[in-house]
Amino acid sequence: MTTYTVYKEQLPGLFEKWSKQYALHVPARLREGFYDLVPWRKDLEIAWDYDVAYNSPKRFVMPPHEALITYDRRTYEAKPVFGAPKQILFGVHPYDVKALNQLDQLMEGGSPDQNYIRRREATVVMAFEPLTVSPSGFWASVGASSVAHGFDLYWTKVGPASFTVEIGSAKGEELLAMGGALLPSTAGDKEGARRAKARILTKARKNALRYNWEETPRLLAKCWDSPLWRRYSQMCLACGSCNTVCPTCYCFDIREESDDKLETGTRYREWDGCMLESFAKVAGNHNFRPKAQDRYRHRYFRKGKYIYDKIGELGCVGCGRCVRACTAGIANPLKVFNELWEETAHEY
Amino acid sequence: MAKPKIAFFDFAGCEGDQLQIANLEERLLDILGHVEVVSFREVATGHSDDYDVAFVEGSITRPEDEIRLKEIRKNAKVLVALGACAAIGGINCLKNFMAENVYREEVYGGQARWYSTYAARPLKSVVHVDAEVPGCPIDPTEFARITKELLQGRAPWIPDFPVCVECKQAGNVCRYEMGKMCLGIITRAGCKAACVCEGAHCWGCRGLVPGANLDAARIVMDRAGSDRKATQDLLRFFLGDTGAAL
Repeated sequence: MTTYTVYKEQLPGLFEKWSKQYALHVPARLREGFYDLVPWRKDLEIAWDYDVAYNSPKRFVMPPHEALITYDRRTYEAKPVFGAPKQILFGVHPYDVKALNQLDQLMEGGSPDQNYIRRREATVVMAFEPLTVSPSGFWASVGASSVAHGFDLYWTKVGPASFTVEIGSAKGEELLAMGGALLPSTAGDKEGARRAKARILTKARKNALRYNWEETPRLLAKCWDSPLWRRYSQMCLACGSCNTVCPTCYCFDIREESDDKLETGTRYREWDGCMLESFAKVAGNHNFRPKAQDRYRHRYFRKGKYIYDKIGELGCVGCGRCVRACTAGIANPLKVFNELWEETAHEY
Repeated sequence: MAKPKIAFFDFAGCEGDQLQIANLEERLLDILGHVEVVSFREVATGHSDDYDVAFVEGSITRPEDEIRLKEIRKNAKVLVALGACAAIGGINCLKNFMAENVYREEVYGGQARWYSTYAARPLKSVVHVDAEVPGCPIDPTEFARITKELLQGRAPWIPDFPVCVECKQAGNVCRYEMGKMCLGIITRAGCKAACVCEGAHCWGCRGLVPGANLDAARIVMDRAGSDRKATQDLLRFFLGDTGAAL
């Protein structure tokens, strides 16, 4: 693995060059305490110390609203629609890279999702080692503090004005080289990157599961009838915010609309969520999960067991977005899993 | 096949929803190409009682309105409530929380006794309503979509989830995280969170989402608001005809 050192003064030039070929998104402050990845512009101040991007990166690879096919009722023909803008996501934290890696596995498996795959292929991910941890984040305890792949470049701030950049792909190296000759990192810089990771991990571990995350599926298997589901879900507004802000929730609904002449039309998909009341409603108006309690439990089983059963990792990367987005204050994987652990502790 | 005949009617309201339809401009010509408009006083003169689809705007605020609405119901195969006043009673229902003599005086002054009036209510309190185009005002693109679905013989779809879904899709910072109240948590989506996107908060004009958890909503709003009264005022603004307002 090659690592180069890049200085802050080189960045405006690099950004300028990249932005000519790609839609470039960088972390910036929206308002006090709120950060997000936003389109880069010259006068934008990069929020290096952002704790979490308000909106998860899934919107870049799976937009909230996406056309899938157009059809013509006169000729009975349909054509696929693919939109895949070339984009660079700069400054993505490792837990969000892990979320993208998870989406990749789920969308590529089974019947591969062509719309997703094309967008993902057109997306360059430049990861960034976090400098702060959001109050609701707990990614260090769910195996999401490091990623082995899924990034084209991995940036770590090792000094007031210097970064180490680990190369993750040829594309990443090519983009980095657009700034001129590359400077291999010294042993000191590499050690600085290691210390930066250790520092943030110490901070991030303050909010942690009380057990090894690999135990979660077994824990949940014992907790189907826990009173916890009812206790929390009584406050559930079924607003789906925990789903929509989640970087790994990928469910969508498909609908169609005709043009005004009723001749052609578009089939499109929109984000859906298992916490919404009608999510599990099928033909004949039967609802598999009519109660908030059923839906609430289902979501934690998705995050803690069903996804694990599929691909061997948790469906939660510990970003803490759902904790923050839930106005009712009940979405909290860390708290839910820890409380279930307490409830069943005597069984271990 | 003969074109379906459609007609527009209005009761207590500002006719803003019909204006929104007129605002579709060139799109309106394409959509109206599939139908015959027999009555639409905001756009054309003339009227006929022979129609298939009735779009009805405004809420019912007088006993005599009921007679007229029942007549419309009898003539129409499909009756569509247009806008908040027709669909949920809307802001007309604010008067339902005042003493009758107070609002009568306020509106009609010395002539208060000349006019009949009673508690404002949505169309569905009087007749069966087949479909709704919610909102204050309606979203013209949603009206267009629902009309097209009716023309194709499909059941018109309106979102059955709260505004939060569309607000998150838009990427807005949640009003509650800014320490403000918002009715998006219990209000039917479909507006693409227009008010929040413009910097305000949701007022609930599209009515309650099916299955709205009002008990939880009151607790969440009370935590964010200054006092109980603020919560109640916001809930009464558009949702006066629903259990939310109490």
